[in-house]
Amino acid sequence: MPLYSITPIRLSLLTILLVVCAVSSLGQSTTGTVTMSATVSKFVEINSGGAVTLTGNSGGGVTTDGVANSPLAVSINLGELGPSNTNSFVTAQVPLKLRSNAAYVLSMTATVTSSGTTASRIGTADIGFGLGTVSRTGLGVNAGADTNATSGDPTLPANGSVNGATGRYEFTAVRSNLSAFTSATTALSGPIIMNAVPRSNANGLTVPAFFAVKPQFFENGTTTISVTFTVTAP
Amino acid sequence: MFNPTKGLLSALAIATVLMMSAMVTCAQTTGSVTMTATVSNFVELTSGGAVTLTGNSGGSVITDGTANSPLAVVVNLGELGPSNTNSFVTLSAPLRLRSNVAYQLNMVSSVAGAGATSFSLKDTDVGFGLTPAARPANLAAGVDTNATPGDPTVGGSTDVNGRWVFAGANSTLGAYAVSGAVLSGPRINKAVSANSATNLTFPAIFSIKPQFFDPAPAITITAQFTVVAL
Repeated sequence: MPLYSITPIRLSLLTILLVVCAVSSLGQSTTGTVTMSATVSKFVEINSGGAVTLTGNSGGGVTTDGVANSPLAVSINLGELGPSNTNSFVTAQVPLKLRSNAAYVLSMTATVTSSGTTASRIGTADIGFGLGTVSRTGLGVNAGADTNATSGDPTLPANGSVNGATGRYEFTAVRSNLSAFTSATTALSGPIIMNAVPRSNANGLTVPAFFAVKPQFFENGTTTISVTFTVTAP
Repeated sequence: MFNPTKGLLSALAIATVLMMSAMVTCAQTTGSVTMTATVSNFVELTSGGAVTLTGNSGGSVITDGTANSPLAVVVNLGELGPSNTNSFVTLSAPLRLRSNVAYQLNMVSSVAGAGATSFSLKDTDVGFGLTPAARPANLAAGVDTNATPGDPTVGGSTDVNGRWVFAGANSTLGAYAVSGAVLSGPRINKAVSANSATNLTFPAIFSIKPQFFDPAPAITITAQFTVVAL
């Protein structure tokens, strides 16, 4: 078609087409999104707080010691608990270490198995128990008030005495012996332990767990005391 | 009866008309076509390809990036609490830019659903950075200005409270609660066809250090990029 045959109308249509093409070039993608979802779950943790301290024992020893920040799996031979042990108490102090990003509850359940068959055998009530002073120290540890459901060190005079009727030494304070923990029972609770810090931060709440037995004229035999701590986020 | 004078006049008139017609015909031997056009500013942001998610515990890529398609990535970062023992949860999302003019890439971000205590995950806990490389020879020569410090997992330390702090300015989403520049530079493409595959591709890196954050079941982190022509 000769160029001179382009009429003004056709020229107008061509111009419109060019304009439309130019405008359409503005339709390119200029925005984009990256959307991320995530979760922070409740986290509670119990580990060993360090080495066990065994005192007043006669024979016995720490079979598997605690290692700070490692799973709690302590094994202790308390040695002789009969009257040949002249110490006032055989006491095992087991450091616990707790960490959480939420309020926590530390509960405990205990069993005592003895080969004895009489009322004089060692029972759960003969094993004193208590949690000591709670420590929230170190970088990244949140300040907070913890509730100790036990009466503390069971060897304290206020926590036990000789039964005037039977002569047997008894741990008499609230939750001061393992008979209070034959089923899972709260021993300690409190608010969030850790601030927003990386897990590599090794600090946490530490508390000693005391187990004490008064050597007495128990029925002879062997005894196994098993204690399980469980921390939960209610 | 034939009138010689009238006949002569008629002949002259006809000749004049013919000559004028011929002259008019000669005037139509040229013509012109005038075209107008525009080259508009062109800036384009698309996905640079598949994302990479590392260090996650229970997370996954829900909507992956597809090279040269609109950027609309959706990722579940998974667990960000201390039960995730990895050093960082990191998402690398490739971005792809093209332009025929100087450009500026902006970003605005938000964090929602994380809680409101001092121990909640905040925008400052989400590391961010771009790591553009030098332009290859098939792009227009120029140097891009990265407003971020680059890979947020490099450097960083804990603060006086033990919380992780990403190193450098503009290294977290806290710097982009309002839209701000993350990258800028001169024109990207040479004068190549629109379907040319040449482009500037670089990763946008998002990174979070798992910490004892407050529990939060549904955290949403959004980053919106916008490229504009300067």
